[in-house]
Amino acid sequence: MQTVHEGVANTVHSLLPLFRCLTSIERNVERCQISVNIPNDRVMIQFSCKHGITKTHNLRYQESEALQALFASHLCLNVLRAPARLLANMVMHFPASQEEVTLSIAPFRVSLMNYHEEANDHVKMIHTEMSLHPDEFDYFQSAGDSAITFCLKELRGLLSFAELHCLPVSIHCGAAGKPVCFSVEDLVLEATVVLATLIESDSRGLSQPTNTPDPISPRCADAAVVSCEAARDQPLIHHAGMEAVASSQGSPADPSATQHHSLLRLHAPDETWATTSPASSTICSLLFRALSAEQGESPAATLSVLAHHSDMEENEDSARGPSV
Amino acid sequence: MRKEVKAEVVTCWGAFLQNATTATMPLLTHSQSDNEQYVLVASLDNARNLSNILKAITFKDHAIFTATRNGLKVTVEDSKCLQANAFIQAEIFQEFTIKEDLVGFQINLTVLLDCLSIFGGSTVPGGVSTALRMCYRGYGYPLTLFLEEGGVVTVCKINTQEPEEPIDFEFCSSNVTNKVILLSESLKEAFSELDMTSEVLQITMSPSQPYFRLSTFGNSGNAHYDYPKDSDMMELFHCTQTQTNRYKMALLKPSTKALALSCKVSVRTDSRGFLSLQYLVRNDDGQICFVEYYCCPDQEVEEE
Repeated sequence: MQTVHEGVANTVHSLLPLFRCLTSIERNVERCQISVNIPNDRVMIQFSCKHGITKTHNLRYQESEALQALFASHLCLNVLRAPARLLANMVMHFPASQEEVTLSIAPFRVSLMNYHEEANDHVKMIHTEMSLHPDEFDYFQSAGDSAITFCLKELRGLLSFAELHCLPVSIHCGAAGKPVCFSVEDLVLEATVVLATLIESDSRGLSQPTNTPDPISPRCADAAVVSCEAARDQPLIHHAGMEAVASSQGSPADPSATQHHSLLRLHAPDETWATTSPASSTICSLLFRALSAEQGESPAATLSVLAHHSDMEENEDSARGPSV
Repeated sequence: MRKEVKAEVVTCWGAFLQNATTATMPLLTHSQSDNEQYVLVASLDNARNLSNILKAITFKDHAIFTATRNGLKVTVEDSKCLQANAFIQAEIFQEFTIKEDLVGFQINLTVLLDCLSIFGGSTVPGGVSTALRMCYRGYGYPLTLFLEEGGVVTVCKINTQEPEEPIDFEFCSSNVTNKVILLSESLKEAFSELDMTSEVLQITMSPSQPYFRLSTFGNSGNAHYDYPKDSDMMELFHCTQTQTNRYKMALLKPSTKALALSCKVSVRTDSRGFLSLQYLVRNDDGQICFVEYYCCPDQEVEEE
């Protein structure tokens, strides 16, 4: 967990030029001192160079509140760690223009594939999927199948930095919609990049990492794991040209999913769930199965199934679950 | 700009000489009678010895050429506040003949440089070089350039204009209050990374700290580059009083080209705050030429 500090904001434009020419810095600069002069609202960056030459930059700053992503990495269901080189080799197959990628984690496979918003373009675009066995990772923990979509461009910067310093990169993530955290650490520094992931719902906006995290209670996590085991047996579905791994923690867009959320709220007033949390949709489906058994056929009739299975499951009820 | 070029160059043609070797330049060695028509004839085996130094002062299109028995001086001015001079002594030329005490004309410097590099040419010293013969018949005549490379000869005639009188900044050594000589390599980096959002470049020279300081005041803050008097980059340090003067950045920024070519630079200010920058430039053959910049102060800061 991060604590929130008073922030000092500078435009990147004023700082970058000072450190732009790395070769000349390596050649000439012997020491760099950075200090904050609060009465004058200046950040002083002083380079002590060879031959007694001193370069002093006094940059104006504004006090600001630091944006912090409060991220409970210890509560994350999926944890991977790999040398930066491995991850760099995964992302190098995607063009520089590729905005978003989907990282799919399953007990026996880790895949990275490109993501496009408009399904209409699926005929014209090139699909790239890169898969690795969990053994390739230094550390691998997966609670089940999950797929998160995030901005690749943001990740590239951290990967090149980590590769330069030969640092391993840790990935902590949960369900789609929850933030993903990439971190590197060594003796002198610790860098964390928290990225929003796409919610798999009608609204295509990225969920913003907020200051208060969506509560992931142990009960929810258990439920997710349980349903995951059941879901694993279900066959893969083909959706609009995309191959999707059966996911218990996220479901493709379905307006009827919101119906289930509201059902849940009516019957579980003590719990506070974010309406768009896919984990809650898992809970929804479990409870719904319980409800539908009680209430007979009528709720089931209003259910629209996303996709028909190619083979029918032994249990009709579980086949009708939205989290197919 | 391009229209101006066409108007300036009267004629320009090339001819390929058969049986010509690169060592001899048949067209360029004129007989004595040909020479009599010219008041100025200057020849160089390597045109780069002229073009490189002229590039250091090409921030305006037009330049004033002044030739005396000592050699050639090329002057470029800006806004009546800045003057740059390039000096190429007579000894640099393989041939330098002048029939009058002073020969002067104004010419389009950009066109001249285009002609000097008409063969494209490699910038690597020691490669194939362009030979130059520059001839001027006098007032009202164009400047004729004979350029030869690898047996091919090109003749360019560039229109000349009435020379304007160069500004006399009245900068004399007796009035100099502060002078330092720095090795150019220590300043090159500073000049190339100067904050261009700053309207002025402030130069502080003082017998006490900070000794020699370049300062900028830009959008995001200020920057100071300090050179102590005992630095091994400081070849000479002679400051009698503390002076701080500001000069328009736009005027001084072009001097970076001269700095890039030079190995040493002398920085002097006089009691009025006028700035003199003198650059020592070595050409391809190791010979010494000079470039100097004079600049008026932007606003006078109180002298201590």
